[in-house]
Amino acid sequence: MTEDILRVHDLSTRYFTQDGQVNAVSNLDLRIERGEVFGIVGESGSGKSVTARSIMDLIEPPGEITGGEIKYRNGEFAETVADEHPNAVNGEFVNLLELPPNVRQSLRGTSFSMIFQDPESSFNPTLTVGEQLAEAVEVQRRASARPRSTRARTQSEEYSLGNFLLSTVLPSQKYITEESRERAIELLELVGIPDPVERADEYPHEYSGGMLQRAMIAQALAGEPDVLVADEPTTALDVTIQAQVLDLLDELQEETGMTILLITHNLGVIARMCDRVGVMYAGEIVERGSLEDVFDEQVHPYTQGLLGSVPDLEGATRRLQPIPGNVPSLLDHEMDDRCYFADRCPKAMEDCLEHPPEFEVPGSDDHEVRCVLAEMEYAESRAVPDDHFSETSRTAADKHADPDRTEDDVQPQRAEQPVDDSGGDRL
Amino acid sequence: MSRRSGRPLVQVEDLQKYFWENDSILDRLFGDDPVPVRAVDGVSFDIHEGETLGLVGESGCGKSTTGETLLRLQEPTDGHVTFDGHEVYDLGGDELTAFRREAQVVFQDPFSSLDPRMTIGETIRQPLEVHDIGTDDERRERVRDLVERVGLSPDQLDRYPHEFSGGQRQRIGIARALALEPEFIVLDEPTSALDVSVQAQVLNLLDDLQDEFNLTYLLISHDLSVIRHVCDRVAVMYLGEIVEIGLVDELFENPDHPYTQALLESVPRASTDERDRDRETLAGDVPSPRDPPSGCRFRTRCPMVIPPEDLELEQETYRELMSLRERIERRDISLESVGDDGQFDADDGSVPDEDVPAFIAAVKERLLDVPLPPRHDAIVEEALAELAAENWEAAAERLRTEYESVCERESPDLGEQAHPVACHLHGTASERTAEPDSWT
Amino acid sequence: MISDRVKSNLKQTFSESLLPKLGLLLLVSIVFMAIFAPVLATHDPTRTGHYSDQGTAYPPLGQDLTTQIAQDGDIVEVTVEPTSEHILGTNNVGQDVYSRFLYGARVSLIVGLLGTSMALAIGVPFGLVAGYYGGRVDDAMMRIADIMLAFPALVLALALIGVFGQTPIQVPDPIVLAGLADGMPESIPIPGMVTLVVALVTWVWFARVARGEALSIRNEEYVKAAKSFGTSDRTILLKHVLPNSLTPIIVLATIQVAVIILLEASLAYLGFSGTTLSWGYEIERGQDYLRTRPWISMLPGIGIVLAVISVNLLGDWFRDALDPNIEGEGR
Repeated sequence: MTEDILRVHDLSTRYFTQDGQVNAVSNLDLRIERGEVFGIVGESGSGKSVTARSIMDLIEPPGEITGGEIKYRNGEFAETVADEHPNAVNGEFVNLLELPPNVRQSLRGTSFSMIFQDPESSFNPTLTVGEQLAEAVEVQRRASARPRSTRARTQSEEYSLGNFLLSTVLPSQKYITEESRERAIELLELVGIPDPVERADEYPHEYSGGMLQRAMIAQALAGEPDVLVADEPTTALDVTIQAQVLDLLDELQEETGMTILLITHNLGVIARMCDRVGVMYAGEIVERGSLEDVFDEQVHPYTQGLLGSVPDLEGATRRLQPIPGNVPSLLDHEMDDRCYFADRCPKAMEDCLEHPPEFEVPGSDDHEVRCVLAEMEYAESRAVPDDHFSETSRTAADKHADPDRTEDDVQPQRAEQPVDDSGGDRL
Repeated sequence: MSRRSGRPLVQVEDLQKYFWENDSILDRLFGDDPVPVRAVDGVSFDIHEGETLGLVGESGCGKSTTGETLLRLQEPTDGHVTFDGHEVYDLGGDELTAFRREAQVVFQDPFSSLDPRMTIGETIRQPLEVHDIGTDDERRERVRDLVERVGLSPDQLDRYPHEFSGGQRQRIGIARALALEPEFIVLDEPTSALDVSVQAQVLNLLDDLQDEFNLTYLLISHDLSVIRHVCDRVAVMYLGEIVEIGLVDELFENPDHPYTQALLESVPRASTDERDRDRETLAGDVPSPRDPPSGCRFRTRCPMVIPPEDLELEQETYRELMSLRERIERRDISLESVGDDGQFDADDGSVPDEDVPAFIAAVKERLLDVPLPPRHDAIVEEALAELAAENWEAAAERLRTEYESVCERESPDLGEQAHPVACHLHGTASERTAEPDSWT
Repeated sequence: MISDRVKSNLKQTFSESLLPKLGLLLLVSIVFMAIFAPVLATHDPTRTGHYSDQGTAYPPLGQDLTTQIAQDGDIVEVTVEPTSEHILGTNNVGQDVYSRFLYGARVSLIVGLLGTSMALAIGVPFGLVAGYYGGRVDDAMMRIADIMLAFPALVLALALIGVFGQTPIQVPDPIVLAGLADGMPESIPIPGMVTLVVALVTWVWFARVARGEALSIRNEEYVKAAKSFGTSDRTILLKHVLPNSLTPIIVLATIQVAVIILLEASLAYLGFSGTTLSWGYEIERGQDYLRTRPWISMLPGIGIVLAVISVNLLGDWFRDALDPNIEGEGR
């Protein structure tokens, strides 16, 4: 077992909307080992994307990280920031949330990179792909030219209006150097784009969806990051293209040994890629462990339900076992202090009316679950009566019908959406 | 409409739907010719009463267009659809109204399929009003029944769509489709916008409704596991054509068409064995339907292209040669950038004679990853020599005579066997003189 | 037509910002002024060379004073400055400036609202049909619209007035009929032709917006679903396409009211109004006296500015509240 590269402890990210506080991520614990692929799986509105964005420091108002630690292990970096921010440093670990924004920003690209679901909005349609890649290379190159000073990383020469005007008049006046361009072509080759020399001079619209996704991966790799955060990287792609991109990520991971945090709703993609998995529900990781722990030895009824919902490609036709009900509200005042899954859970017991802590599941080193079933057997006698939640969920439904509210607050996944949509072009 | 037994409920014959680009008045004025986008290019299939036929394919393969065209939501470019013995495109007046009652559709996007300014009660009642069925009270009663049947509460009838979640909206769309007691429903990606747990609810609901109302479904989906779970028979589409049709178990257990095989292999399974599963990933992208490949449309990505007889080459090597030729045919090699900067100074376009061998070597190094057996090496060098002199056509011709595959000459047809497959590997097309467009 | 969500958005935007309140206050005042002009006015706004009840005469501005005295024989106190009688004085033909200001609001508002309604009535159906059917129909219809757009609005309006003439329609004044005011004109002139003309030069904007909406709405799946169970095109247009395209049309309509008020003022200033009771016309009248008695021109000028500002503020409010892109942000 290798060392941890990232430790997230007690992370909470909230959105302060007009309709109240949305607990997008609550008290989340996470541990990612160097060189592994860690998967977060969950349905829409479960907070998986917000988790990724919290780690990347891409949370925008009205969202805010309200508590917790995100500790990143990098001895060299820890030394660099130790003088200025002694509070943040603990051995080789640096708590990113204690650092000022400009220092955190300097980690983007070199330590953390992100790829998004929609590659089309991640590229500027008016520049060639090669130019944009070269630009990413350039930024990283200039940053690493003065690695000792964290400030220098953020104070590299900015692209100015003057540059822009000059570049339209004098073709030679480019922001990028020849070296960066060559590196860009190498990157395109690395991600398996055929004829990278010619392709570098093409515009994003000349690329197909799969190719653009590859180009985005190339862009994310420009700074040779330690951790690649992939947020639904294949959701917009067809299966045959998805298979290509997953193969690529697999190969790249093997070659470079980088760590990948893979966010997806697709259990097949998780099974294909991940070493360890966390299952998210209502802003929490409800079960985490190795792939085998979660897929074969799962304890949480939600994990079971999720796996039971997937139609099997190989097996004979059987009736699906869906999870009844709908995704829960994440509005703070609508969340009772109980297991958030209890109202949909077929095995809800009286014990579930109290919010469960994380239990360690016996039989595996690293298997934890937020469910009392880890400690006790389901007992019919302790079951919560069927109508227990109907009253509360009913009022919740009626509240949803309140005409004075907008669509966004009715469903937590919608509340999350502005973040999802806008994030694509931010990095 | 009366039913004659033994006849399929829906028969689609050689259906074509082209969209035209550059087709406005201005384009005409500037003399641009309209470009056909062959969304659906000659598909034929039957749907029997009470069955579920799946139509599966990747985005852009024309599966949704097929669904909309056979319902006559779009006018076809060519072809026939008969519904219950009536030619759908000839219907008019009362007969068309009757068809509109019998055939319904459920759409993919639960956020766009309901009018945001209508309550769900109005939405579901709408078909009844259009067809003037029942009194106000009867309609109200019917709407309440329908809403309950799809698992929602009648109390919610006065609410607007934005107050519902995706899964609930999809249920409302289903209730609307059921309002007229249709026989046939086209389900156009009914669950692809939903989360898995909700998807399972909706699939189970559709299953129950089929039994209860004896419905016939055409299920359009890109999700193979949904298809496998729900359908009785499956048709696989690629680039506007059906490449394989068969019973669901047969097709999933023993896919014959290389595309079907690749599609099935590409789907990641949600099981712990997934990482060790052998799989072969399909290379390349789907070609544009504006300019589909000749012959078999899948040949540009097919891992099993049939080489000419007596050609002893590995498939991999053969594929390299094919793509080399393809690029020469498309003139998609920038000769200027071959070699180091300005190494092959091509002022008048062609490479100076003394540089030709070096030029050939440079091109080969860049475009071919595998070493060629001597005989083929010679052929390729001849072709590249032509290229050095800017004779694209001659270079392509040289390669074509040597390496042209039956897959690009002839379009395979589905054949008439029990499990039709449009592939030269499975059929007699390579022996007989096939007519490329003979669909049966 | 207007959903609860829209209402709540309207309320919210209204309560959050000062500008919509200001706009509404202004507009309500102007509307009040226009409706009750006969009650609020002190003199018949059309009567020239006015003589007061006491028999004092106010000769028209610029007329030779001595001529006046000589004709009447007596010595009278003459003034066109504001007095207790004419609180804002008179214009160059001796009409009461204050009363004319009140009546001018009527013409501006009527032309603005009526003109916009007519433009809506022409443009929206045109645009919806073009966008919904698309293809050749759309091509042909939108080329017509493009041709309309190729002319500057004012020039086109002048040309059309040249063709149609500018005779106003006399409409009985309900306030006077109800006996609320004495000595006021019994009918108000509505510049019907001008209204038609301003509608004819502005409907294209509605057509374009409606077309854009229809183009996207016709691809919505609920429209396809409606087609699939056999709904007629007419019903689809009225039940689905029109209600769902209303939001941007309403926003545009508010802005167009302001545009039309300005256009009417410009026409009136140029003398093509059909009625002299127009702010634009009044500005032209006072032009020669800008140095000595600037309020004659400035008062109607301020009227125009306030009317336009109030309508624009309301337009912004609607846009902020109704625009789905803005909706949901900033929370």
